[in-house]
Amino acid sequence: MTATQDIAISVRDLKTFFYTNNRCNKALNGVSFDIKKGKTLCIVGESGCGKSVTAASIMQLLPTLSRIEQGEIIYHADRGDIPLHALEKNGRHMRRIRGAEIAMIFQDPMTALNPVYSVGFQIKESLKYHMKMVGQAAHQKAISLLKEMGIALPEKRVNDFPHRYSGGMRQRAMIAMAMACSPKVLIADEPTTALDVTIQAQIFELMDKLKREHGTGIMLITHDMGVVAELADDVAVMYMGNIVEAGTVDEVLRQPTHPYTKALLASVPVLGKGKNQDIKAIRGSTPDPLNRPKGCQFAGRCDFATAQCQTMPEETHITPTHRVMCWRYKELVPNG
Amino acid sequence: MLTYIIRRVLILIPMAFVICFLVYLGLELTPGDAVSHMINPDAAGSMNPTQLEALRQSLGLGQPFHVRFWSWFTNLLQGNFGYSMSGGVPIANIIATRLPATLELAAVALVFSTLIGSLLGVLSALKRGSKTDSALTVIGMLGVSIPEFFFGLVAISIFALNLGWFPVGGRSMPGYVTLWDRLPHMVMPAMVLSIMLTAGVMRYARSSMLDALSRDFIKTARSKGLPEWRVNLLHGFRVALTPVVVLIGFRLPVLIGGSVIIEQVFQWPGIGNEFISAVRSQDYPVVMTIALLSVMAVLVASLIVDILTAVIDPRVRLGE
Repeated sequence: MTATQDIAISVRDLKTFFYTNNRCNKALNGVSFDIKKGKTLCIVGESGCGKSVTAASIMQLLPTLSRIEQGEIIYHADRGDIPLHALEKNGRHMRRIRGAEIAMIFQDPMTALNPVYSVGFQIKESLKYHMKMVGQAAHQKAISLLKEMGIALPEKRVNDFPHRYSGGMRQRAMIAMAMACSPKVLIADEPTTALDVTIQAQIFELMDKLKREHGTGIMLITHDMGVVAELADDVAVMYMGNIVEAGTVDEVLRQPTHPYTKALLASVPVLGKGKNQDIKAIRGSTPDPLNRPKGCQFAGRCDFATAQCQTMPEETHITPTHRVMCWRYKELVPNG
Repeated sequence: MLTYIIRRVLILIPMAFVICFLVYLGLELTPGDAVSHMINPDAAGSMNPTQLEALRQSLGLGQPFHVRFWSWFTNLLQGNFGYSMSGGVPIANIIATRLPATLELAAVALVFSTLIGSLLGVLSALKRGSKTDSALTVIGMLGVSIPEFFFGLVAISIFALNLGWFPVGGRSMPGYVTLWDRLPHMVMPAMVLSIMLTAGVMRYARSSMLDALSRDFIKTARSKGLPEWRVNLLHGFRVALTPVVVLIGFRLPVLIGGSVIIEQVFQWPGIGNEFISAVRSQDYPVVMTIALLSVMAVLVASLIVDILTAVIDPRVRLGE
């Protein structure tokens, strides 16, 4: 296990439920993981598995009809451990951490910036509230941030409105905004889904650079396995509100143990294998989150399901870092 | 931006010309003329047709339609609005006495409804689904759907007749000099005029604000750790403002053209009241002048709205 001082945020047995029409959607059903300082944790899984809810739970940006039911989110700050789950949602303490120590960037840079304020204004807002930096100092800081993110002519661009930025530039501006106060942790919720592939590569390169140079811990939500292989230090695979398998990137990608991870990897097309390659789609579809199956959520789509899968398997450690939630993992561990 | 404004102002002239022509044509198509309204039917029976014809000729009504329109229009360009046919008073004088009364009401209604309407709308949106929101929604629907004259009559019945707080109607009394003296007269018509507009602004502000609050950049603003008031007002309301400004802008001409119904109900000596009596007596020059005034108000208001939207929203670029 990693020493505590290397961990920025630890999440333990997190349960976040959504309440709609008097029905309860257990969006997160007991999720545990660590975001390490200066490392990238990738959370992968298909749509609706709870990736974004995890991010929103950490940031305390959950919608009104949902709440953290159980579990802890501990932020290991320099000034001591802070239980984020216990802080008031939009209270003073939470606000002080948000944007300053834990920052977030969103999926669609086209809509995530306010169209009526200049990019500079929006960066300076963070500086003003967290670092008490205003006027010329803030302006220069905003320019240097944009420059660091690779925006050309930052002195001129800082006064431009978001609609004059391209998609990739807006995401760079978003990252500049998020990095304004040198946060300890950066949460990126599918930051490149709305961008084209070349820009994606540039954005990821930028994030990797930030991780190395600033020691920022990154939690990257994605469903792109290529991105995981490229960027991740640790990987957590989510399915229907649970982390079904987690470990270092080598463990999860090279020795996938959970049937879902295996299926997920088998469904990724590989460049260069030609058009006749065998891409195995996962059969069936995800169950209705309001009407979940008993036990293992994946059992209905799993080739290895047995009667035992009617009860939820415990989390089991294969190695100190590699853990999986499956009854039959022993038979499934590659290479014995 | 400046060239755009100049161009828009220049376009006003041909537009005003065309609209005035259409109004003139409409008046021409109505049966009867000013003379038939001037002379009491009993007296008209005993009058000599040549006398009536002479009166028509003296008012210039004998000339063909296009000649009359053209002479009205050329006079207008020289700054001459003409004379009222029924009273012989210069129309410029009529407007000079009537317009301030109307503008007085319009200004109060506009300021009141803009401030209160946006405030309640934003409140309603922020407290969405609460009791306050439901109550405001019901009040808003009532305000929008119940006709003004009904509010006016109810207000007169309660506050003027039963309670005796305010005068029943009119704008002034002999011996009243200052605005303060006239204030009691203004309260009821201004409030009733404000109700409809306030309700409209409130409904608009609420939906516009809800729309703005559901956008992604609100989450971004919150994720930056900004305080709630800043998230809601600077990021939410600022974006929600554009549709509200458009709504208020397009109500402007209605208020300046005179709220005909309110001025009737409260016997307010404004443009709207004058308009009614001018149309009744087919007093062409007066009707035309007021129509021109309304046309200009509409065109100028839409120009103002365009400029304001460009100021509020940087994505709007005028004249590109």
